[in-house]
Amino acid sequence: MSAKAKRPDVLAASADLRRRTLTHTSGSLDCMIYLASMRDYNTGLYVHQGLAARFSPEAASEALANCHRECFRELVSLELKDLTEQLDLYMRSTGTAPRDFLRSWKDLEPYRVAVPVGTDSLMAQFLFSNLKIALAILEHQHSRVPEPAPVA
Amino acid sequence: MMQLVIFLAVAVGLLVLLLVAMRRQPLHAAGSAGELVTAKRTLESLQLGLLPAELVDQIFGERDFAYVAAIGSNEIRSLFLSERKCLALTWIRRVRKQVAALKEFHVSRSRMFSQMSRWKELSLAFDFKALEVRCRVLQLLLLWRGPYAASGFARRTAAAAGRVCSILDQSLAFLTPSIPVSLGTESDADGWMV
Repeated sequence: MSAKAKRPDVLAASADLRRRTLTHTSGSLDCMIYLASMRDYNTGLYVHQGLAARFSPEAASEALANCHRECFRELVSLELKDLTEQLDLYMRSTGTAPRDFLRSWKDLEPYRVAVPVGTDSLMAQFLFSNLKIALAILEHQHSRVPEPAPVA
Repeated sequence: MMQLVIFLAVAVGLLVLLLVAMRRQPLHAAGSAGELVTAKRTLESLQLGLLPAELVDQIFGERDFAYVAAIGSNEIRSLFLSERKCLALTWIRRVRKQVAALKEFHVSRSRMFSQMSRWKELSLAFDFKALEVRCRVLQLLLLWRGPYAASGFARRTAAAAGRVCSILDQSLAFLTPSIPVSLGTESDADGWMV
């Protein structure tokens, strides 16, 4: 952790973010994707209006970046079984039909842009590889369960 | 008389060359400071990024394999094995590359900065060589037999690399207060970033 990250306002903003928002996510994968969506791809800075209003835009951005790195570390440390469960939970939470979700995740690989900046390439490769296998496992599981018939 | 003048001129010339060479010493030392910092970063990248037992366990551990095997799909099993093989090969390539960078530093520069005895230096050179051979053998095993054929050997190789790193770390310990740990995680010797 850098010296900048230890600033009291950043720590307070991180605690606030965890308490108010991240506790409502379904797991580390949901958390990582949510935090990645807070990042401006043009500047690399994280934007959260509520947090910036309570603290400062810089403290909010730093807090979001810290939490993003934390979620990534948690996700990488998961066993494949737990990661598959998290992916399943995330898939259900989106409300998308499993077949559509699995197809678009396999084709688009959206998780590739969801990792924090400065992530070690081996760790990122490890996560991508595990997600690829988890998707194959979920696809296998869903192929064995017949899709529910549409209600007339 | 003429011979004496020529002799003195040559002597003065040599003396001037010697003085010039001596004055160039600080420039050389400045260049080496960069190498020291690079060596320290490479060392940290190895110790914190590639060699921790948790990472080695994640790549070579068999719990994930057992989970995949229990699913009972040959397709998923093959995908898993090919992904892990690729990951294990990336890991060993990076370990080899960074060990080679550290060895290069040790051979060319470390003597200027460390208070190592000749015996310790020789022993470290031997350790480096043994580690290089180990890494090469492991790479061949991974290529030939896959990620789970040599998981014990991979763990022992990581432990051996860790031991060499700690010996080298002691000789670079004087740099520790000036270089924050985070530097090692921002960029490794390969400069591989996402």
